[in-house]
Amino acid sequence: MKKTALLSLAALAAMSLAACGGSETAETTTAAATTAAETEAAETEAEAETEAETEAEAAEAEGEALPDLSGVELTMMVPDWGNPGEELLARFEEETGCKVSVTEVSWDDIRDKVSIAAAGGQAAADIFEVDWSWVGEMNSAGWLAPIEMTEEDIADEPTLETFTIDGNILALPYANDYRIAYYNKDHFAQAGITEAPKTWDEVEAAMKAIKEAGICEYPYSMPMNADESATTSLTWLAWAKNGVVFNEDGTFNKDSVLDALTFENKMVTDGYVDPAMRTADGMTCYNKICSGETSFMVGPTKFVNFISNPEKTAEDVLGNVEAILLPGKDDVSDRTMPLPEAYGVSAFSENQEAAITFVKWLNSPEIEKELYLANGSIPNRNSVIEEMINDGTIKTPGAMLEQAKLIKSPFPNGVPDYYAEMTNAMYNNINQMVLGNQTPEEAFDAMDQKVKELLQ
Amino acid sequence: MHRFSQKILPYILLLPMGLLMVALVYYPIAVTFSYSLREMKLTRPNDTAFVGFENYVSVLKSQDFWYSLQNTLFLLAAVVILTTLCGFFVAMILSKEHRLAGLFLAIAILPWAMPPIVNGIIWRFIFFPGYGFINKLLLMLGLIDTPVDWLSNRWLLLSVVAVVTAWRSAPFCAIVCLAGLKSIPKELYEAAKIDGSGSFHSFRYITLPLVFPFIGIGTTSASITAINIFDEIVALSGFSDVGKNVLIQNYLTTFSFLDFGKGSALTYIIMGLTAVLGVFYLRSLNREVEF
Repeated sequence: MKKTALLSLAALAAMSLAACGGSETAETTTAAATTAAETEAAETEAEAETEAETEAEAAEAEGEALPDLSGVELTMMVPDWGNPGEELLARFEEETGCKVSVTEVSWDDIRDKVSIAAAGGQAAADIFEVDWSWVGEMNSAGWLAPIEMTEEDIADEPTLETFTIDGNILALPYANDYRIAYYNKDHFAQAGITEAPKTWDEVEAAMKAIKEAGICEYPYSMPMNADESATTSLTWLAWAKNGVVFNEDGTFNKDSVLDALTFENKMVTDGYVDPAMRTADGMTCYNKICSGETSFMVGPTKFVNFISNPEKTAEDVLGNVEAILLPGKDDVSDRTMPLPEAYGVSAFSENQEAAITFVKWLNSPEIEKELYLANGSIPNRNSVIEEMINDGTIKTPGAMLEQAKLIKSPFPNGVPDYYAEMTNAMYNNINQMVLGNQTPEEAFDAMDQKVKELLQ
Repeated sequence: MHRFSQKILPYILLLPMGLLMVALVYYPIAVTFSYSLREMKLTRPNDTAFVGFENYVSVLKSQDFWYSLQNTLFLLAAVVILTTLCGFFVAMILSKEHRLAGLFLAIAILPWAMPPIVNGIIWRFIFFPGYGFINKLLLMLGLIDTPVDWLSNRWLLLSVVAVVTAWRSAPFCAIVCLAGLKSIPKELYEAAKIDGSGSFHSFRYITLPLVFPFIGIGTTSASITAINIFDEIVALSGFSDVGKNVLIQNYLTTFSFLDFGKGSALTYIIMGLTAVLGVFYLRSLNREVEF
């Protein structure tokens, strides 16, 4: 009997105009005071008018009044750390009448769902997660609705630059992340180094001293696994050390990138990096600063909170780690790389205006503060960071604010739409290099060839 | 009238399932085929020109495809061998009459019930570079001086993936083989014993031939599992080039690089390979058994 087996794979607002509290304006009359009673009444009315005016001014100072969005229902697809939380959602509903339903989806899956839906001209959700690395392709694919922001907002949020292509802001960041350096003062002091390193040469010298003194077996920590964290690590290193990663035409700047690759490889061959980091994920690598297993690293901004948190940091390390500015070539670097996450509005959404209102609301200074308290998202506005450092909400900030003011995107023409293919070539070749299968030159040539191929 | 309803009724009853199959299986297959003949990169939405079989040629010319196919074939061979040997061995143990046979059976089935991604994550901790369980054990026993980096070498990583996958697929093979073993009439063994047959000969000429079709089912299942390995590889080594199989390559092309044209062509190539394998197994399953 003959049978044929067939195995298949299938891949496959309206917005109303009334403003809160602004629709009803109390009519006031000023009457001539002929009697004491009339005078008293007039005074009371005048007081009420002044009070109303003050409230309106305060509301204006906080931002635009929210529109009435009664009856509108929005969907939002974000990873668990991007969920604004029940309280904020209830507050938005109370203020506008708009209900937002959040679906938590794993970070990787969001992009798949958005692309599959968009391929059919549908919105996977009205609002969805937009990682900084996705913005180029999502822009080219036409999946994101542009969002208008004021000049004041743009100046206050340097991370917005990452989500801006051809003058269009395509998503609003909710979780700020930029690279900042951390060093264990105690390890450095034990090795006789009393100052924080300002240059990469000083870092290397410090690593040598700490290792040779037997203070820490692997004093330098940097993600090198074949994943996105290896790409970003090379990018910020070249960016901070040499001030350039890509040329204007989109190709790699050979001198800078090869120099960064050589430095990274040297850290491995000289034994400053734990060999296990060549196949361990980024967080495992970063957590070493909290456990005291490393002396220096450049890592995510949220570690500013971790280093003062007894639940995250070992007892003997608490108080010994400080966040400092990224080292540079001759002095501290004048730049750092942003890696923020944002909320984008689908170009296929039927409630685009309402969705934009919601993400702008989440991006407002007041809500940014609350998001930080709710889920630890670092604010994107420098004014908010400053305020939270001053009022003690952010403990042990170190150079956090100073570094935030030095945020600059390393992509001269915005994140390219071939980023996914480029990063795949980058992290695989970086990984092969640190595993000893390629020289820095070979790794660079393979990366360079791929980028040139993609540019064609 | 009665004859008419007898003729028509079966088709009416099949209609709902038929419609579902058309909507959820045949239509996507057809659409995927049409994608594979087009320029279909989502970052270039206006460029969807018909390119014929260019995507197929491009895939077959790419080094990435052949590299991932090699990995797939290695995994296929390793998983099928490990699953069959382990599954049959476990079935032989479980077939023995024992008070705790039920408990052993339940324990043996557990890995099969585990979601692949959970399976992969558990094993990642076991093979974690540096301070994973295996390294600690080997260091403690003095068998190694420095931790082994299990996940950075291509063949070592693929071997780990094969072991992890076989651990999940062997229980099914064991259950199927156990059913086969239980269905062999005891009289055959008694007759053979009277004829002077020893244990080995009984196993060689009675057990093995009669259980062979069941092994075939287990092997077919293991093959499909081996070709569809995805979660375990991602959990152990992410989307790195080192351990990628054709499925990972397909995922990267389609969903990471957003090239639905080439991704669909690759899907059809994988489908063709799987279909060939399916026919081969079905033929071997239907062989006459002689004993």
